[in-house]
Amino acid sequence: MSLRSPRADLVALALLVGLGGVFALFFVLPFAGLVQRAASDGRVLDLAGSREVRAALVLSLWTGAVSTALAVVFGTPVAYWLARTNVRGRSILEALVDLPIVLPPTVAGVALLTAFGARGLVGEPLEALTGFRFTFTTAAVVLAQVLVAAPFYVRAARAGFAGVDAQLERVAYTLGASRVETFVRITLPQARPALLAGVVLCWARAMGELGATLIFAGSLEGRTRTMPLAILDAFERTSLGLSGAVSMSLILLVVALAVLVVFRLATAPEVTAR
Amino acid sequence: MRLAYDARMRVGAFDYEAAFEAEGEVVVLFGHSGAGKSLTLQAIAGLLRPEAGRISLGDRVLFDSAGGVHLPPQARGVGYVVQELALFPHMTVGENVAFAVQGPRDVRAARVRPLLEGLEIADYEDRLPGTLSGGQRQRVALARALARDVPLLLLDEPFSALDASLRRTMRAELLRLRAEMGLTVVFVTHDLREAHLLADRLAVFDHGRILQFDRREEVFRHPRSRRVAELTGVANILRGVVTGYGPAAGAAVGSAGAPGSAGGLVDVQVGGALLRAPERGWRPGVGSTVDVALRAERINLRRGAPREIADVNLVQAVVEEEHAYGAGFTLRFRALGAGPALEVDLPSRPYEVLGVGDRKAWTLELPPEDLHLMPVEEGAGLPSVAGEDA
Repeated sequence: MSLRSPRADLVALALLVGLGGVFALFFVLPFAGLVQRAASDGRVLDLAGSREVRAALVLSLWTGAVSTALAVVFGTPVAYWLARTNVRGRSILEALVDLPIVLPPTVAGVALLTAFGARGLVGEPLEALTGFRFTFTTAAVVLAQVLVAAPFYVRAARAGFAGVDAQLERVAYTLGASRVETFVRITLPQARPALLAGVVLCWARAMGELGATLIFAGSLEGRTRTMPLAILDAFERTSLGLSGAVSMSLILLVVALAVLVVFRLATAPEVTAR
Repeated sequence: MRLAYDARMRVGAFDYEAAFEAEGEVVVLFGHSGAGKSLTLQAIAGLLRPEAGRISLGDRVLFDSAGGVHLPPQARGVGYVVQELALFPHMTVGENVAFAVQGPRDVRAARVRPLLEGLEIADYEDRLPGTLSGGQRQRVALARALARDVPLLLLDEPFSALDASLRRTMRAELLRLRAEMGLTVVFVTHDLREAHLLADRLAVFDHGRILQFDRREEVFRHPRSRRVAELTGVANILRGVVTGYGPAAGAAVGSAGAPGSAGGLVDVQVGGALLRAPERGWRPGVGSTVDVALRAERINLRRGAPREIADVNLVQAVVEEEHAYGAGFTLRFRALGAGPALEVDLPSRPYEVLGVGDRKAWTLELPPEDLHLMPVEEGAGLPSVAGEDA
């Protein structure tokens, strides 16, 4: 059968539907499994209201928010600079910013230990001076999340800023606007959809952070045990076992979905008005 | 207000060096893209810092390398419109124009409203730029650039994205604004017709240099060099040799001695034909090589039997090629006897009345006052034999 034949398109269509169906099923099944398991196991709902789970959820939500906020505060200027500069070696800088994205989180955790850990580059003198150590603190959780998640924001923001015509800024200067006013009134509004997308990506990655947190911050209930760590912990303990893990996974799923939807709704008008 | 510009800098492959002035007029910076025109506007607007020079507007110094002055673009008070217009896409027309104005809402509205009305875009005040036509967007960009009550307007090919009829309207609009507001305008274009229409004075740019800065007619009719003649669309640039100096103005053949032809006439041998051109203050030595510029539309076609007519500034020629452009014809002539090949532009009407379509052999009259002598540039234009040997 030649590619020119009308039948070729029919075959292709069938193939497309088949492949797409299998692919979709692959994504739906795990979630269906979660829901089915939760429905059939009576303990799941009780567990959801337990103190441990509540503590982990609250910790996850607010560390995720703080990490994302830090990424925005520190990452936005860097992203803007990267988008506008012509400095030599810019591509190397950009690769460095992207590095944590491609690195396994466990590597990030080990790296954090060597810098901020008790024997670390900064950690040791810091402890000698102030007595503060990062291990088993919520600050360590935030550091781990920022290292792993912030690159997602910077990456999205850089692309967003690069998409704003620099000519607009130059003309704004000639109209009397300072650099700050130009950034706030011209550049930011235009880059806004990209920045928001970056915020979502960054927050999602921070919420899911496990490896780096486990290695660098440890798993201490109420302090460093975020939802992913609590799920792992429940899975390993025989008393709760799979039921506990299922319960918390479902909760995390629902909360994440709710946050995404609310965020979408809150920012959608600006995105479409562009 | 008087703009005085003088700047030098190294840009990519060439050295940029330009100086000109503008006062209550439209000065057109004309040349190919990459010749340094846009660079000039950026330097005036403060978006680019020359290495050396001085730029002043009225009694304000905008840039002075010697005095270490380099005002930021915000402080220059200069209107700047770029080809892409750079309207802020997320702001309405009114907000775009008001962006340039400081102060409370009513103050800004009082400034913006008349501008929008003057440019006939008041109805679109609440629309986003993306919903406007090209001509309307053009007007918004102009209104915004003028909103700061600027004495100087810099326009970088602002009309090149418009279609021909809209371009005509906008050019007329610009001339009206200039007259009404007493603006000084520096206008960049690579379009010869646009340059001719708008310019009071014209600066011809080439490779980062101004080859000639002069009143429009002066540049078009008396180009300083072969390159200027080429850039300004002179179709006939003829290499010739000076053979002597003819009778004084007024005594010459035909209509020689026209106003502006100071001094006497120069005899130039071009391809075996004798052409007589006014001196215009320049007396090349007998035997020296010169270039003669003659615009295609200045040549007259004469009927009459060729032999009856005197020889000076007349060439017997036949049409070899002709191209119809609707409004007129471009004819390429080959000399029958002695004389250069010539290009002639003829409007449609005389073309038909004379019957050029049927008759191919003509006597071409080259009016002396339209001939212009230029020095031969070394290494430019036609290669001279001596130059090749060296």
